[in-house]
Amino acid sequence: MEYRLRLAKRMLFNKKGSLIGAVLAVTIGILVIHVNFVIFQGLFDAIVRDISDYRNGDILVTDEADYIDKSDLSIVSWFERIPYVEAATPRLSSSAEMNMTKNGKLIEETRIPLVGIDPFRDVRASTVHETVSEGTYVFSRNSIVLGSNVAKDLGGAEVGDSVKVLVVDRWGEDQIRRFTVSGIAKSPGGQGFDYTAVVHIDTLRDMMNRPGDTGSFMVKLSDPSKAFEVKEFFLQSFPNDDFLAETIEESAEEQLAGFRSGIAMINMIGYFGMMSSAFAIVTIQMMLVNGKTREIGVMRAIGAKRKDILIIFIFQGMIIGAIGAGVGTAVGLGYTFYAKETKMSFNNSLPLEVSYNWEKIIQTALTSFALAIMASLYPSYRATKLLPVEAMRTV
Amino acid sequence: MLEIHNLSKIYGEGENKVKALDNVSFSIEHGEFVLIVGSSGSGKSTLLNMIGLLDHPTNGKIFIDGTDTTTLLDDKISSFRNKKLGFIFQFSNLLSDLSVLENVLLPRQIAGTNGSAEKDARDLLRAVGLDDQIDKRANKISGGQAQRVAIARGLINKPSIVLADEPTGNLDSVTSETIVQLMKSMARKLNHTFIIVTHDRQHFSDVDRVITIKDGRAFEGDQPSEMEVLA
Repeated sequence: MEYRLRLAKRMLFNKKGSLIGAVLAVTIGILVIHVNFVIFQGLFDAIVRDISDYRNGDILVTDEADYIDKSDLSIVSWFERIPYVEAATPRLSSSAEMNMTKNGKLIEETRIPLVGIDPFRDVRASTVHETVSEGTYVFSRNSIVLGSNVAKDLGGAEVGDSVKVLVVDRWGEDQIRRFTVSGIAKSPGGQGFDYTAVVHIDTLRDMMNRPGDTGSFMVKLSDPSKAFEVKEFFLQSFPNDDFLAETIEESAEEQLAGFRSGIAMINMIGYFGMMSSAFAIVTIQMMLVNGKTREIGVMRAIGAKRKDILIIFIFQGMIIGAIGAGVGTAVGLGYTFYAKETKMSFNNSLPLEVSYNWEKIIQTALTSFALAIMASLYPSYRATKLLPVEAMRTV
Repeated sequence: MLEIHNLSKIYGEGENKVKALDNVSFSIEHGEFVLIVGSSGSGKSTLLNMIGLLDHPTNGKIFIDGTDTTTLLDDKISSFRNKKLGFIFQFSNLLSDLSVLENVLLPRQIAGTNGSAEKDARDLLRAVGLDDQIDKRANKISGGQAQRVAIARGLINKPSIVLADEPTGNLDSVTSETIVQLMKSMARKLNHTFIIVTHDRQHFSDVDRVITIKDGRAFEGDQPSEMEVLA
């Protein structure tokens, strides 16, 4: 083995405390990045996942100016013949006033978002039905699913209760219907329909006086990476309509923009953490150089050049970086694996959408390795500056 | 072999100026076993550091095998030290992270000529009586053994001159005698030039030459009545 590498290794491994300290510094730097990624990127992806699963799908089709007047069947059938498409479902939204009498007391609530869904198609394209914690999802023209917060605001509505719903139709007339609560929806993290009421789409069309109209089509893909392709194909296929088709990134951009910049800031904090671990390496390596002053003097006396000394201590930086990057990445992956397998969430909030971003994992490991080498440059340079005759006097 | 012309070394400036060496000149022939003696602070170690290219003279020239070493730049000095000079220090100065064998091999590895290095190192360790200790860590052997390893290390690159700075200064009387005899036998066997700085005159009775350093000046011999100024 190259004698400089062997010396670097021996000097480092014979100072186990320093080695452990330096490796820990690198490991913690990497771990901070991994934990940040798991939590904040996981939270971001979880929100994207829930928006996609509950509201927007992988592609959301709306009309630029008005409601979509093409039949559900024609649009859904058009999408579902594409192999990448898993399902498509129509939706219609409005705002409603509701009241119910609970324990002899009339409770009224206004401005409650009301969503009309097709019970047969919706369960294939969306997972909102899975958030119904009590009772069942909408199954008939007069059943209503209340979000848990709506139920609470109505004085504690329960499955089987009767609720009166008022919607203003397209002509400005009040349309009132009575519904039976079939279920209560509560989603982890509240990204679902917790603040919304859900009814049959045809009932809502009747109430709004919009027969055959649809607010949007939510399209779920079996391969979300094909969203842009499918969207473009759809828009090209209907050039004379005013359709607006958006991928999840586009349709949810407004909700996600702030979060995205937050993640960038958190990542930056993580990288600052990594920088501070580099300073720890500088300190530890300075201690190593000071502890080996006499040996450096001896090596110089028996013929080692300044560059040989430089290489020995840079090798040490590389060893610290390699071990630290290896251990840090392994611990980080262990944490990621744990978070993914346990569907980690905080305070029963939405479960994080944990993924292995290999590009970022490798980039983090390489960055910390490079930082460890850079951190070793100054101590190595200092080592080369020692004069042999003075260095050998050090006891 | 070794020629020193008008060598001076001054430390400090102004009123704090100290003349460690004052216009020293002498030459040493190949194969000589030379003792440099003098009282503490006389300048003998300074002289050895100059010859060993570990320190720069203020004035004067040092020629080793015809090369003016005072004009060499840093990297050339390192190479020159590695190839032409062997060092034996008072505290042996072995690298504690390496084994006995690795310590002896180190100068050869620095030189980058590894061909028969391990065989040569083993031969030298056998010659100094340590062939059964080669795999021991350098900090696990006794002071006398460490000094023998240092001798082997000093000889591995077949240097023109072996410089020893108080090689027995840290050893008991019996071990000192052994080390001195070992150096003498190695010098005879390998026909190397040995320059030894010591104030331990009693263990070095039979040497080719004695140079005395007194107040920074060099004298041939060590008997005051016979001393001849080397200048």
